[in-house]
Amino acid sequence: MAHSSIYALRSVGGMLRGCAAPSIALLLAALTGTAVAADPPTTSWGAPDLQGTWDFRSITPFERPKELADKEFLTPEEAEAWEQRTLQASAARRNRDPVQGQGDVDVGYNAFWLDRGEKMTGTMRTSLVVDPPDGRVPARTDLAKRRSAERYARWGGVPSGPEDRNPLERCIVGFNSGPPMNPGAYNNFAEIFQTPTYVAILNEMINDHRIIPLDGRDHVPENMRFWKGDSRGRWEGNTLVVTTKNFTEHTNFRGSGPNMVLTERFTRTSEETLLYEYTIDDPESFERPWSVAVEMKNTSDPLLEYACHEGNRAMTLMLSGARVREEKGQGSDDWLASWYGGAKAVKAAQETLEGTDTDVAEDGK
Amino acid sequence: MWRQISSAARLTAIALLMGPLVSQASAQYAASRTPDGNPDLNGIWQAMGSAHWDLEDHAARHGPVDALGALGAIPAGLSVVEGGTIPYQPWAAEQRAENLKNWLKLDPAVKCFMPGIPRATYMPLPFQIIQTPAKILFAYEFGSNSRVVRLDRPGTEALAPSWMGYSLGRWEGETLVVDVTAQVPDTWFDSSGNFHSEELRVEERYTPTGPNTLRYEATIEDPKVFTRPWKISMPLYRRLEPNAQILEFKCVPFAEGATYGHLRRPAEPAEPAEAEPEQ
Repeated sequence: MAHSSIYALRSVGGMLRGCAAPSIALLLAALTGTAVAADPPTTSWGAPDLQGTWDFRSITPFERPKELADKEFLTPEEAEAWEQRTLQASAARRNRDPVQGQGDVDVGYNAFWLDRGEKMTGTMRTSLVVDPPDGRVPARTDLAKRRSAERYARWGGVPSGPEDRNPLERCIVGFNSGPPMNPGAYNNFAEIFQTPTYVAILNEMINDHRIIPLDGRDHVPENMRFWKGDSRGRWEGNTLVVTTKNFTEHTNFRGSGPNMVLTERFTRTSEETLLYEYTIDDPESFERPWSVAVEMKNTSDPLLEYACHEGNRAMTLMLSGARVREEKGQGSDDWLASWYGGAKAVKAAQETLEGTDTDVAEDGK
Repeated sequence: MWRQISSAARLTAIALLMGPLVSQASAQYAASRTPDGNPDLNGIWQAMGSAHWDLEDHAARHGPVDALGALGAIPAGLSVVEGGTIPYQPWAAEQRAENLKNWLKLDPAVKCFMPGIPRATYMPLPFQIIQTPAKILFAYEFGSNSRVVRLDRPGTEALAPSWMGYSLGRWEGETLVVDVTAQVPDTWFDSSGNFHSEELRVEERYTPTGPNTLRYEATIEDPKVFTRPWKISMPLYRRLEPNAQILEFKCVPFAEGATYGHLRRPAEPAEPAEAEPEQ
C-alpha cells in the first residue's frame, strides 16, 4: 500500500510537470482519489490501450463501515492497519471444520476457497461506493424492497426446482462479473481485448464474455432483454464509456431492476492500473443514482476457465437434498438460510411480503 | 502449344507477364490486414450445414421431440470428414454406436455444457473473432462460451485441463494455425455420439478465402480412440447483416429441465399413507 501511494504521488508529480493546466489535474486527482496518467499507453491505431489482464481483488468494504462514517479516505498507515485487521479476521476462518450441530456447513467456504485479495483498492477510499458522499447505497424504493423480499423468500426456502435458486448458483451469471464487475469472493480477474471497432471483456467468473461495439449503433430494441444487458461503448478523451441497458427482470445488482442504466468508465491511470468506475441509474429501484470506483491492477497471471455450470454438482445435491427433506416431512425453516443473511433475513423477507415494512438488506457475495 | 506447357510453367508465364499482384491473387486470396499487419480475421462467423448433428454422411431423420414435428427433424448432410468416415479403433466404434443410441441423454451440448474444440466452431450459432496481435478472443454465442488463442506463449502448456482446451496460435502466411490441447474427455464432436479421450489434440487452420469466407480445417489426433489422425473441413461465412452482433444465448435455463428435471418437486406430492385407500 505504501508503494502504491508513493506511485500515485509520483504520478501526480509527473502529470503536473507535463500538464498545461495543473489545477485541473489536481482537481481530477482529488475527485477520483487517484492519479490520472498524462500519457496513457495507446494502441497501434491511436486509441487509449486498456488491454491486459486486470485483477480487481480488493478488501475495501463495498459500503463505508459505520465506524468510518465521517472519513472518506484513509492514510497509508490506516489502510495498512485495516488490511491487517481484515486478514486476521479471515485467518480466523481458515481451516474452520464443520462441527456437529453448528450452522456453518451450509456456507461451507473456508479460507482455502476465497481469493478476495489482501489490499484495499488504490483509491485509498474507505468504501468502493463513492457517491453518495456517505459511501452507502441509497435507499431503495418500495418496488425494489418488495422485489428483494420475493427473491429472499424464494431463495431461503426449499427449492421445488433449479429455478428457485438464484442465478449465481444456477451458473447463469457470475457473482462478480456483472456488469458491473465488482470485487467478490474469488475469480476477480478480467481480460480486455480491443480492435478499432470493438472492446471485449472476458471475465474469469463463469468464462463469460461481453462484446462492446464502438461504432455508435443503437441498442437492441426494448423488448430484447439479456441477463448481462446490451452494451455500447464510446471514447470520451482517454476514457472508455460503456452504457448497458435491457437487463432482464431477474438481473439483480444490489437490488437493481430490469430498467437499470449502467454507465461504466474505464481509464488507464498508469501502466499498472486501470480505474474502473460505474454509475447505477435506476429510479425504479433506488432513490438516487449511485457510483462506485475500483482500481484494477495489471497482472501477468493467466485467466483460467471457470466451468461453473459443467461442474455444478451443488445444484444436483441441493435438489436431491430438498426431495429427501420433503420425503421426511422436514420443513423449510432452516433451509440454507445463512447463505442469505441468516434465518432472520429470510423471515424479514416473508414479513415484508405479508405487508409489514420490514426491510431486507441486499447483499453481494 | 499452350496445352502442352505444364501448369507450373503457365503460372510462371502469367506471373512474369502480369506481375506479382495477379500471381499472388491466383495462388491464394490475400486478406485485408489488421493495424499490426496480420491477416484480418475479425468478424462474426458461422458455419452452415448440419455437421453439428453428425460429422459423417447422414440422411434426414426423426428428431427426438415429436411435438416439434418437421421443425425438430434432423436435416441430411454430407460428410465433412476427409475420406468420409472417422477412423475409430474397434472398441471405440462400438462406444460410438452406444453413444448414438443414447445420444439425447448423453450429448453434453444438450445440457448446455461447453462444446469444446472443434464442435464450438460449427454449432448452429455465430461466433465472433476479436483479434489482437498477441491474443485472439473467440466469443461463441452458444452458452456465451469463450476461449483465448495465445500467440505470445509458444511452447507453454496448460495449467489444467479445460472444456475449451488450451489454444496456442501462430500465423502461417494467410492462415491462423491453432494447436488445441488439454481438453477434458467429456465433450463430443456432434450429436451423433462421435467422441474422443483426454489425449485429444486438435490442429485448427483458419484461412481467408474471400472477404466474407474462411476455410476451416481441423486435424484431430487421439491415439487412444482413432487408428490415425483425421481431418474435417468446411467454410465459415461472415454474418453480413449491418447490425449483426453476438446475442445472448445463455442456455442454462433452457437445459435445466434436461439436466435436473428428475430432481424437481413432483407436480402432485404423494399423499400421506393414511389417505391411501384401504386394500
